[in-house]
Amino acid sequence: MSETWLIIGGWVAAGLTIFIFSFLYKDNPFFKIAEHLYLGAGMGWWFQVMFYNIWKPKVWEPVKILVNGLQIIQSYHIWKPEFWKAVWTAGDWTIFIPTLLGLSLITQFFQKISWVSRYGFTFIMGYGAGLVIPVSVSTDFMTQILGTIKPLFKVGTEMSWASFFYTFNTFLIAFGLVCVLIYFFFSAEQKGLVKKASNIGIYFLMLYFGAAFGNTVMGRFSLLYGRFDDLYKYSSVKYFYAAQIIAAALAVYFILNHFISAKKSRAAQDNSGS
Amino acid sequence: MNLNAAAEILFLDEFSAADMPYDAGEEALLKWKTSPLDSAQATYQVFASTMQTGGWIKVDEFSADKKFASDIKLPFWAWKARKDLHAVAIPLETHFGKLEKNKEYFFKIISIKGRQKFESEIVSTQVKRNWFNFARLNNLVFVLVIFGIFIWTVSHAKRKGLFIRRIAGLDAIDEAIGRATEMGRPIYYITGIGSMSSISTIASTFILGEVAGKVAQYDSYVKVPHYNPIVMTVCKEVVRQAYLQAGRPDSYREDMNFFVSSDQFSYAASVDGMITREKPAACFLIGHFMAESLLLAEVGATVGAIQIAGTDSEHQLPFFFTTCDYTLIGEELYAAGAYLSKEPMLLSTLRLQDYGKFFVIVAVVIGIALMTLSVQYKWDLTDKILENIFKTY
Repeated sequence: MSETWLIIGGWVAAGLTIFIFSFLYKDNPFFKIAEHLYLGAGMGWWFQVMFYNIWKPKVWEPVKILVNGLQIIQSYHIWKPEFWKAVWTAGDWTIFIPTLLGLSLITQFFQKISWVSRYGFTFIMGYGAGLVIPVSVSTDFMTQILGTIKPLFKVGTEMSWASFFYTFNTFLIAFGLVCVLIYFFFSAEQKGLVKKASNIGIYFLMLYFGAAFGNTVMGRFSLLYGRFDDLYKYSSVKYFYAAQIIAAALAVYFILNHFISAKKSRAAQDNSGS
Repeated sequence: MNLNAAAEILFLDEFSAADMPYDAGEEALLKWKTSPLDSAQATYQVFASTMQTGGWIKVDEFSADKKFASDIKLPFWAWKARKDLHAVAIPLETHFGKLEKNKEYFFKIISIKGRQKFESEIVSTQVKRNWFNFARLNNLVFVLVIFGIFIWTVSHAKRKGLFIRRIAGLDAIDEAIGRATEMGRPIYYITGIGSMSSISTIASTFILGEVAGKVAQYDSYVKVPHYNPIVMTVCKEVVRQAYLQAGRPDSYREDMNFFVSSDQFSYAASVDGMITREKPAACFLIGHFMAESLLLAEVGATVGAIQIAGTDSEHQLPFFFTTCDYTLIGEELYAAGAYLSKEPMLLSTLRLQDYGKFFVIVAVVIGIALMTLSVQYKWDLTDKILENIFKTY
């Protein structure tokens, strides 16, 4: 890539980053430009991913192989068993099942035959539910139980801090699980012992959420540092101070916009007053 | 080297090859009897080929005191865990690429002890995909039991009705819609970025139906921006049906549900822009969410919308707690459809979930007690049975 294109790329990257960040102040035309560009680029990206990773290898190429394979049937008579054998072995005919189901979704654009799309949607929902049920039973149910069932004491270990903490941890995990599950009982009224256990369950949940929050925020900060690092890179003389110039231009826009808006609103108030 | 000279030392008794049971036709299983002379000093080298006459590839090598039938990770009802039998699973795809149907694969083993070697006879087998994974019988039994209890709870719910405790987040739906009606601003209902195979998205469509019904009654307006086109089509039907049931088909508009983007962050950026410009009075963020959760919820909070969120993505729940007025935590989201509609069929699923939770509590308490006793009194069998019952294969 030539140096000029690198500099242009730097300006575009720095510009779009600052435009998106400008939303932190307030909605503005620059954010709208970045937003719509992002939306269009995102959809364009997904379209080519679907086209090259799904449609081409999973529909177009198998159909092409099938069509090529069917060339041979011209040499057989339709009533001969060889004809049907050649038809059957020409390629993968099952490809038409998902393809037709997929195409059925398009029929919703045509009022008269839109009912056909229900076959595709029904299949997707049925397939999804069918796939989720056994997986949920094994991961949410059985694995959860197995992960919690641990002996309270380790075999052959003498009493020490390590073995004490092992016992404490095992007990705490089991106790926490039971209390959290009690919180999620919907068909039992929460009073008495159930209420107490449920309240302890909420504390366990909040402890977990707190830890998850901290963990995720740290991850997000590392992403933010990444953007700042890029902005710092584009603020160098090599990129003709792209980051500073764009940030300064945006600041000027906001200041001017503030005064113009204030002037307009004053004029509007005067008009309505008179 | 003295090949076959030490046959009496390292002879492979009852060496056989077979298709690995209960798999998807990827592995072959080799078995032979253990010898009293098996030791860490002796080695087995396993060779495989697609021809009987040559092209041998070394597929495994291990010392003779390792790899027994008891090391194969299958449950006791599907596999006899013996210590007197060597058993080796050979992943054929790793060595031969994509496997052909009805193709014969050949195997031989060379056992080595010191300077002596013994080459076994050549055995062969075909591998096939098995229709039934017997190792997952426990999974099937659990599903069937759950199904049986479900049928029972449905009939019970129809006859006697079921009690459901109060869920604050769902009681606030009326308040949120009422506020939007009074302020004359729209309601945003965001189903997240899950597909129709996600349980939280399915639960979200149920709640959308109830919300849309109430919106129709109050003559307010709901906007549902979508990430997934299939979820959008399902939601269109749900909203249309809700308006019909509320007796307001004239108020229904096709553009209530609209597609935004299938790209996570451009979807978030676009919906953020819409929320900022339209300033909705209420935002529902119910479904499957990932990193965009805070981006959406924070903007909703900034414009002063009353926000009700619900997801089973536990990593996103903390963000909803900090930015939303009410948050449905995981299971509460699944309960929402039943809670709002009070339909016996849905109510019975709640009771079923409670039975499931009760079973988990009982299994954990009894399991821990049994495991502790099995450690103290060396009940190895109890330990193994418990592990096999709850293990997923």
